[in-house]
Amino acid sequence: MARFHDLHVTDVKKTIRDAVVVTLKPANGAAGEFDFIQGQYLTFRREFDGEELRRSYSICAGKDDGILQVGIKRVEGGAFSTWANTDLKPGDTLQAMPPMGGFHTALDPRAERHYLGFAGGSGITPVLSILKTTLAREPRSRFTLVYANTGVNSIMFREELEDLKNLYMGRLNVIHVLETDAQEIELFTGLVTAEKCAQLFQHWIDIEDVDTAFICGPEPMMLGIASALRAHGMTDSQIKFELFASAQPGRARRKAVAADAASSANQTTATITLDGATQTLTMPKDRSVLDAALENAMDAPFACKAGVCSTCRCRVLEGEVEMAANHALEDYEVAKGYVLSCQSYPLTDKLVVDYDQ
Amino acid sequence: MSEEMTIESYLAEGGKLTSPANVPPRYRAELLKLMATFVDSELAGAAGFADTINAGPGIKERIAAAKIVLEKTDNAGKVLKLMGEFGADTDRYVNHHPWTARLDRDADIGASRSEHDMRLAVFNYPLQGWADAVMMNLLMGLAVNEQLAEFQTVSYQPLAEAFRAIAPIEARHAELGREGAAKLADQGRSDDLQTSADYWWPRVAQSFGGTDPRRSEALQAMGLRKMPTGDLRERWERNAAKVLEELGLARP
Repeated sequence: MARFHDLHVTDVKKTIRDAVVVTLKPANGAAGEFDFIQGQYLTFRREFDGEELRRSYSICAGKDDGILQVGIKRVEGGAFSTWANTDLKPGDTLQAMPPMGGFHTALDPRAERHYLGFAGGSGITPVLSILKTTLAREPRSRFTLVYANTGVNSIMFREELEDLKNLYMGRLNVIHVLETDAQEIELFTGLVTAEKCAQLFQHWIDIEDVDTAFICGPEPMMLGIASALRAHGMTDSQIKFELFASAQPGRARRKAVAADAASSANQTTATITLDGATQTLTMPKDRSVLDAALENAMDAPFACKAGVCSTCRCRVLEGEVEMAANHALEDYEVAKGYVLSCQSYPLTDKLVVDYDQ
Repeated sequence: MSEEMTIESYLAEGGKLTSPANVPPRYRAELLKLMATFVDSELAGAAGFADTINAGPGIKERIAAAKIVLEKTDNAGKVLKLMGEFGADTDRYVNHHPWTARLDRDADIGASRSEHDMRLAVFNYPLQGWADAVMMNLLMGLAVNEQLAEFQTVSYQPLAEAFRAIAPIEARHAELGREGAAKLADQGRSDDLQTSADYWWPRVAQSFGGTDPRRSEALQAMGLRKMPTGDLRERWERNAAKVLEELGLARP
C-alpha cells in the first residue's frame, strides 16, 4: 500500500483569482518516490477540525521542468482547496502519497503524432503536464488544445500557454472556448458540447489525423466530447479520460457515536441497508455482519472473506463492531466508521450499517 | 463550466471513472467484485495448470503450458495492482488462499462460488491429464475472449485499459489450446478430447453467470456490463461449436 511522505512547500503562486500553483520538494530522501509520469496526480492529506481529509490534485509540471508542481483551484465550500488558496505558504510541509494515475500514453522520440487535448477549467493541470512533456520529448509531434473556461479572467496558465506556443512554433495550437465572454469567432463562445466539437472538427481540427485524445473536465463536458470523438471514428483505446475533482465529496461527516453501551445479551438487532433497501434482522454477536446479511438473502458484496481485499466495506452508522482483522482499511477510513463487514462482529445490542455510503 | 451532474447519470450515459477517489460506494463494491473474480480465476487457473506442465507430451507442449501459467499469473497481477489502489493488501492477497485447491471431479456446484474466494465455479474442478487440460483451456479460453471483449469497455478506465492489454494474451492462450487439440486429434486422441469436451462444456457455460435481469440492469447502469450474460453465452456456444467441429468433434 502507498504511504504518505512529507513535502516542503517552496513556492505558492496565484495564477488566477481563485487558483494557486504550489511548488513542492520531497523531504527525507523521498525524491525518487515522486518521479512522476506526465498527467499523474498527488493525493494529499490534512486534518481539519480533528478530521482527516484527502484530496487529489493533478501535477501541472512537465517531466523536464525539473520541479514538482500541482495546481489547486478553490472549490466552493471545499475545506482543502480554500485552505490552500488562503493560508498555504512557502516553508509549510504537506503530506502526499507518491504520484498515481494512468492519464498518459507512452512517448517515443521518433514518433510523429497529433495529440488532441480538451481541458475544462482547472482540468488544464494534467493536460498541461502532458502537452509540455510531449512537445519536449517527441520533437516531431503536434498538440492541439481545446481549453474551455467561463471567461478570460478564469483561464489558468494563460500566459504560460502563450509562451509555449512561441517556444514550439507551429507545433502547439490552442483554441480557447469561453462560456460567457464573446470572441471574434462565434464558434469559440459557449460550452464545449458534442455539437461544438463536431463544428470544430469541420474546419479547425483535422480529426482523422489525431492519434490520441486527452479529456479532463467536468462530467457533462467529458460525455459530450467523447461522443463526438467516437462519432468521428476514434476508438475507446485512443481516448484518455481524467475525471477531475468535482466528484470528490466536500466535507467528511462525523463518525456515528455508539447509541447504547454493550450489554450481556448475545443477540444484536442489525439494520442493514444495501442497494437502497433496508432490512432489520436479529443476529448472534459471534456472526460477522457480512454472513448475517448473506444469510438473509441480501446480495452483500465480498470477495476474499479474509479482511484483505476491502470489497465488503460498509459504514457503521449506529452501534459498534469489532474487526477481527483489517489489512485493507486505513485509519482515516476506520475513523469515519468504515468497517470490513466480513471481519466485523457486533459489540452493541443495536447496530445500523450501510453498504451504500 | 458550472453544470452539475450526478455520478450516477454520468455513468448511465457512458461516462468513465478514472480513480478510486471518484467511485461511489455501490460501484466500488461491484467493481472490486469484478476485479476479484478475474484475479481469483486467473490465480486458480494458473495454479491448476502448473501441475499439467509436466504432463505435456513434448518440449513444445510444456513450454506452451508454462507460458500460460506465467502469463495468467502476470495478468492477475495487472488487475490486483488496481485492487491495491482501492486499499487491498496485494502481497497478502496472493497468499490468503490455496489456489491449487480443487473439489472432486463429479462435485456438482452449479454456478456457486466457494466460501473463501471469488474464482468462477469452473475453476473448482480438477484437470485430469494433458488432453483434459488442453480441452478445458480451449473452451474456457474461448469464453474468456467473449468476456474480455465486453470488459474492455467497462466504465472504470484503468480496468478497461488493463483488460485491453490482457485480451490479446488470453486470446493467444485459447489459440494454443486449439493447436494442442488439433495435434491430439491428429494423434488419434479424438475420443479423449470428446469426453473432456462433454465434461467441460456445461461447466464453462455456467461461468457466464446468472441472468437475473435486475442485476443486469444495475450493472448496465453503472457501465460495468453491456450485453446480457445470456447473449454472451450464446455467442460463445456458436463459436465454440464451430471450433469443435473443425477438430472433428461434436458439440456436447
